[in-house]
Amino acid sequence: MTAPTRISGTTAPPVSPAEGTEPARQAWRVVALREVMVKLTDKSFVISTLATVALITGLTVLQAFLATRTETYTVVATSSASTMLDAVRAGASTLDDTVVVEPRTVPDDAAARAAVLDGSADAWLARADDGWVLTTDSEPHQDLESIVQQVVSDTTVQENAARTGVSVADLERGSQVRAALLQGDVDHAMAGEVVGFAFAFLFYMASLVFGYTLAGSVIEEKQSRIVEIIATKIPTRQLLAGKVIGNTALAMSQLVLYLAVGLIAVSFTEFSSLIPSLTGPIVWFVAFFLAGFVMLACLWAVAGSLASRNEDLQSTSGPLTIVVLAVFFGGLLFEGSWQVVASFVPPFSCVVMPIRLVQQDVPWWQIGLSLAGLVVTAALTIRLGERLYRRSLLQTGGGRLSMRQAWGADT
Amino acid sequence: MLQTIDLTRRFGDLSAVDQVSLDVPGGLLTGFVGANGAGKTTTMRMITGVLAVHGGSVLWQGRPITAQDRRRFGYMPEERGLYPKQPVLDQLVYLGRLTGLSSADARRRAGVLLERFGLGARARDRVEKLSLGNQQRVQIVAAVLASPVALILDEPFSGLDPVAVEQMAGVVREHAASGLPVLFSSHQLDLVERLCDRVAIMSAGRLVTQGRVDDLRRTPTARYRLVLTGDAGWVRGAAGVRALDVDGVSALVEFEDAAAGRNLLSQALDRGDVREFSPVIPSLTELYKEVAA
Repeated sequence: MTAPTRISGTTAPPVSPAEGTEPARQAWRVVALREVMVKLTDKSFVISTLATVALITGLTVLQAFLATRTETYTVVATSSASTMLDAVRAGASTLDDTVVVEPRTVPDDAAARAAVLDGSADAWLARADDGWVLTTDSEPHQDLESIVQQVVSDTTVQENAARTGVSVADLERGSQVRAALLQGDVDHAMAGEVVGFAFAFLFYMASLVFGYTLAGSVIEEKQSRIVEIIATKIPTRQLLAGKVIGNTALAMSQLVLYLAVGLIAVSFTEFSSLIPSLTGPIVWFVAFFLAGFVMLACLWAVAGSLASRNEDLQSTSGPLTIVVLAVFFGGLLFEGSWQVVASFVPPFSCVVMPIRLVQQDVPWWQIGLSLAGLVVTAALTIRLGERLYRRSLLQTGGGRLSMRQAWGADT
Repeated sequence: MLQTIDLTRRFGDLSAVDQVSLDVPGGLLTGFVGANGAGKTTTMRMITGVLAVHGGSVLWQGRPITAQDRRRFGYMPEERGLYPKQPVLDQLVYLGRLTGLSSADARRRAGVLLERFGLGARARDRVEKLSLGNQQRVQIVAAVLASPVALILDEPFSGLDPVAVEQMAGVVREHAASGLPVLFSSHQLDLVERLCDRVAIMSAGRLVTQGRVDDLRRTPTARYRLVLTGDAGWVRGAAGVRALDVDGVSALVEFEDAAAGRNLLSQALDRGDVREFSPVIPSLTELYKEVAA
């Protein structure tokens, strides 16, 4: 055979020593960057993120709008009741700033009834033998009713008191009921419920959404056999690290975005005064989320590597889906001493401890202990996951592997 | 020089590769042939480190191969695939970066090679939009992108049209000519015979023969074709002659020694005209049938 001549300029130029020396242990960065870029150029990811931001903003704005919207009621009365109607108008502006009462005096009862029936008035206030009657057409107006109730009651009590020579203060002494909690206050507890749900839900969503895509991309690499090319270039440990770090960076960015948008939206509502007390727990939540997410991300990668096709993922990820669901419901349902215990048990702790922090004061050492426990568990899980991933990744023949097969497999 | 020494791999009780000692010298094209399941892919996967070795070793430049050595190998797996949803160029840049190239360098090289394969205009297309043949072209670009130090190509020619075969052959030849060890497996024996300097034949997990194609074809006992004007049936009875095939006026024969040859030829001339008397060099296909049977 004749010696083949090399056609100049057709092959790629040779790599000079200065080039191609980037060490393989830096390869995770290249992998992580690809994971991020693939996601950021994925329309469905971008759209779902923007939609969630819009949803958070929209819901908060709607809430604020509903809370501050003023309702104007036209209330009619005959001249005999006009004094009380004026008191109601004055009372409305002090009792409830979302209700405005426009009083109108009508000649007689028939005219008042007609006005309510034809819709030109919302209610008719009239004196009855044993008190007062607020008549509306077919639907009750609760906010108006409670104002009228309050004003009529106050006015009547004052009149009665004056008549019998007793002071109103004496009459009312000891009659006030106030809602009180042993720990925290009412507003705070309510915020705790809402924010707790938000924590549990954000973790649940991020774990499932990123988990499934991470597992899916591992299967894609395995199924397309590109993993064989990659495995000759870099250690599979680097590949796993890059995938987990890339997806974690994305999940954290998304989480911080959602939290920031949520907080900004809340700052425009009447709950804005709660924000300072939420900041601490939110920062802790981000830390717990990070440890918990990295741990689960590794396991999702293993779920992907155990499968050979997308159809296998359903079964290889089954246990993991149950864990994620358990953490979600644990966050929502655990109360009292159950909650305290769960706040130290990984993986529950990554959601339950931040929720406790919103709802009550937790000593520093407990937070530290819980986070340390989570981090140690995450580290152990990552080691275990790395072995399973490394050993199952290149088993491309046949169907899915069991954990046991993967553990004992030699690449 | 890439070598395997007694390379062995078992799957359960089956020895898929059994003590294979294969030489892939630099500067030569080594064709790797054998039936389906003979162990070619398993051998290649052990060479590239994708599959663990159960016995024996892989040597690179005379010493045990390391992951760092393999990183600079160009490898084309049998069942090919790239990321289906990623654009061609992005993907090549990614693989180049994993080999240690800078982003700009990988981009430049990928551009040159894609252009060469007539895929310059498809650089921004997603891989799944390309025909299978074009995907295979992209795959060879991926294998040679980072100036590999060796090429391990599993069935690089399967499923290619004649134009693509020539392009692929050109790339493979050039890399061998520049001093690289190149090992490629194929079922197309005519192609292997045309392209390769060396050939290695596997059968049922064992390496049955390897060497220069010319050497292997020069069988120990030369065969001759004898074509007469009359019936050649009498050749069967001639002394010192083994008639392999007699068909009308033509016979394929082997001789015990040179004297038997001279004897047969003079007998033939006594009987009439001799149209042809020539040595027959077996094709690789015939050789393969013989050793792999």
